[in-house]
Formats: sequence, structure tokens, C-alpha cells
Amino acid sequence: MSKRLLALILLIALATIAPLVFTIIVKMDVPRALKSLGLYYVKNTINDTASPETVTAIVWDYRGLDTIYETLVLYLAIVGGLAVFRVKEVALKTKIGLTSFARSSTRIISLLIATISLAIALHGHLTPGGGFPGGSALAVASMIVIPVYSANALIARGITSTRLVAIRGFALTGIGLVAFLPTIRGLEIVTNQAFYPATVLGQLISGSISLYNLFEFLAVMSGFTAVALYLSIPEEVFKVAEGA
Amino acid sequence: MLEQYTYALIISVLTINAVVAIYGIVYRRSLTKKLIALTILGDTVFVAIIFSGFYFTHPIVPPVYPEPSDVHVDVLAKHASDPLPQALVLTGIVIGLAVNALIAFGIIQLYRLKGTTDAKKLVETLVEAGVAE
Repeated sequence: MSKRLLALILLIALATIAPLVFTIIVKMDVPRALKSLGLYYVKNTINDTASPETVTAIVWDYRGLDTIYETLVLYLAIVGGLAVFRVKEVALKTKIGLTSFARSSTRIISLLIATISLAIALHGHLTPGGGFPGGSALAVASMIVIPVYSANALIARGITSTRLVAIRGFALTGIGLVAFLPTIRGLEIVTNQAFYPATVLGQLISGSISLYNLFEFLAVMSGFTAVALYLSIPEEVFKVAEGA
Repeated sequence: MLEQYTYALIISVLTINAVVAIYGIVYRRSLTKKLIALTILGDTVFVAIIFSGFYFTHPIVPPVYPEPSDVHVDVLAKHASDPLPQALVLTGIVIGLAVNALIAFGIIQLYRLKGTTDAKKLVETLVEAGVAE
């Protein structure tokens, strides 16, 4: 144990003293202005993409094709994980979970998390946020419900892994459609402002950005909820399935 | 002077974090600990990418228009943090989480089949089974 403590102290000393020596010996310049690429994005995003939120504009407009491929990586990673854990049906058990105090507070908190995650996703083109953080936040709500109420509570309410995978497929199809629709007018794929309207009924929706956010929200939410469901399957089910 | 020290301190802390994480990936025998070290390495890289868009200014504002006008463009050009690294990391975190989940699934399944997550023992069982040499 003392060896580890010594290593820790040495590392902390190195981390604090090395930059001090470096600062005294080398007179280095620290950045004091925005880089020119970032400056371009900050100045032109409102005209190019009709989105006042620069980060979302980069994610779904300037670098939209990258993000679509990243969504594909996300999809394949979760499909790969679920393929390892092939279990058809989980036996429903009653009377498991935590006390009524934990249940009541979880009920309130998960409702709040769901509301806020929807706000994060649907306001993603106006304020910091978007489909990725919103979907992760809603997945957290289901991850709180699973230890407190047990995974059977989700399954009994119709949130089964089959349906979650179906939602993921729907969301990925939606992203693909939104990306490919501009090609019917001869535009490039992932075109935003030349094809989609910036405002609908006086509300700023920033063209395709809010659509992408909505579908990405569904994809991320269903993917991580499915992961949480599969990870919470009890070990006995696998032992029965493998015949051990 | 203080600004230079702060800047160098963050860089050195990130470097040491990455070195410790790589040590954990290479030298720890438990696959679970390798995964923990991998997540530490990934988060360190994300912080480093975010940090590459940092510059000294006061006050720092998020790169969001409160309302579209030329005044806000000037304020943002002087005080907004760089949006590009943030956008890259935003997607990277979610993808990293999914890939970590995939690795965790693999480790759990390996434990169920072989009864251990020790990398060395797993290789021994593979050698005994004639799969590897």
C-alpha cells in the first residue's frame, strides 16, 4: 500500500512542479483569441444554417455526414452488444425492488428527468443540447428505474427490448430519410437550408436540424435503455438458458 | 505568468492522466480494470480536445446567439469558446459510451463462459483448448 501512496505522491509532485519549471525556462504563449476556423463558425452559423446554436449547427449541418456515420457506429456497437446477449423472454417476478420511499422519489425524479431530456432534445437547435445529450438523459431515467423497481417494471409496461430495437430502427431510418430527401431535387445529401424551411408557423426550427435532433434522441434513448435492460437480466436466466 | 502556469499545469495533468491510463490498459491483468483504464483514457482525450478550443478571455460565453443581431456576433467573436471541439466531443462521448457498453457485454459473456476475467488465465485456457499458442 505504501508503494502505491509513494507513486501517487510522486505523480502529483511531477504534475505540479514540471509545469512550474517549464513556465520559468520556456516563455510560451497562451492563446488569447478564437481560432480562425471557430471564428468562421461563430460568425456565419446564423446565416448558413438558421440555427443560433453553433455546436448543434456544426454537428448536424457543417459536419452532418460525419455525425450520420457516427450514428451508424453507435447503432452497430449496440447491436453487437445485444447480439452477444441473446435471451428471448425474461421471467416476470413480483415483489422485488427497493422500499416505498425510494419508489416514490424515483417516480418524481424519473418524471422530471424525462421532461428535461425532452426539452434538451427539442430545444437543441436554440440552446445547448440536442439529440445526443437528451437521449442520454432519458436513458438515465430508465437506469434509475431498473435498480429501484427492477427491470420487470419496465418490461411489464411494454418497454421490451424488441420494441426498443424497433424504435432504434425507426429512428435510424428517419435520419437516413432526412439526409437523402434533398437528393430528389438534385441537391447533395445532408443539405439543410436549400431544402428544408427555417421556420414553420413562425417558430424557428432551423430546417433539418430539429428533425435530426428528434430522431437522434429516439435512437440514443432506445439504444441505451436496451443496453440497461440487457445488463440487468439476472444471472439465473443465463444459467437456465445455457443448461448449466 | 500565472496564466502560463495554469495552461502548462492542465497540459501536464492531462499527460500524466493519459500515462496512468495506458499503464492500466497494458499492465493490469483483469479485463474489467483494463476497461476502467480505457474509459479514463477516453475521457482524458475528450478533455484534451475541449481544452484545445480554450483561450484566455473574460467573460467566457457559450457560442449561442441570445438573439440574432450584429452586436451579438461581435461579442461572440471576442468571448465565445471554440464550438468545433465541443461539437466533435459531443458525438464522441456517446459513441464512446456505446463502444464501452459493447466491451462490457463481451467481458461479462467471457466471464460466464470461462469463469474468469484474468487476461493471462484466459490465454492459458485458450492454449489448453488448442485455439491459441
